[in-house]
Amino acid sequence: MSSTRAGAGRVLVAVYGVFALAATARSLVQLLTKADEAPLAYSLSALAGLVYIAATLGLAEVGPAPRRLAWAAVGFELVGVLTVGTLTVLDPELFPDQTVWSAYGAGYGWLPLVLPFAGIAWLLRTRPRSSDA
Amino acid sequence: MDGPLPLALIVASLVFAVVVLGYVALGRTPDWALLGLAGLVEAGALVLLVVAAVQVGGADLGGADAITLFGYLVAALVLLPIGFAWSLAERSRGATAVLAVAGLTEAFVVVRALQVWSS
Repeated sequence: MSSTRAGAGRVLVAVYGVFALAATARSLVQLLTKADEAPLAYSLSALAGLVYIAATLGLAEVGPAPRRLAWAAVGFELVGVLTVGTLTVLDPELFPDQTVWSAYGAGYGWLPLVLPFAGIAWLLRTRPRSSDA
Repeated sequence: MDGPLPLALIVASLVFAVVVLGYVALGRTPDWALLGLAGLVEAGALVLLVVAAVQVGGADLGGADAITLFGYLVAALVLLPIGFAWSLAERSRGATAVLAVAGLTEAFVVVRALQVWSS
């Protein structure tokens, strides 16, 4: 099995899709209505939304090089949630408003922390073998 | 928005998610009963959107809150159809479990819409 969107991958794509929509829509509303309150936090959330969109498309096998797109997005996501999570735990006043990745995604049931690991595990598990190529 | 409808919708969405998880555990594929249950939730989401649209004029909601409210309500309307489209393209436990994600998310967005409404 080398498809990233089959079987359990379908649930993973669904969860990524929900995060893509939620993070993007929420940060857009925030940027359009109150950007001056916490521009960095909202921009960061928008960036996270784009990363989730890329991960969703990659795992759903949309586009010319979906596996590469998925790896790049999930890798960026892992670095992002660990970096922003650590910074916000060390200095809670860093951002005036919450982002998806604040405190390792504690505000979203820790899912933002779990998702990149699930994504990487799934990409490894469905890795094409040299005999398939 | 102040009546029992939002609460009923939240409960129905959660029941739907639990039933789906039962299907996943038993290895059953989605059937008409599941689709019917989803149809009920969908009808509730549609009524809620209409009720909110009618009542929003008399509510004390700021522009940003109104956008957020209808964002959540429109999400509640499209979640299940998108979930079904993605789920029914494949017959597997994973594909069925997609509907549980849709049901839980449905409950969540109605909770959020309700919070925005009462804030």
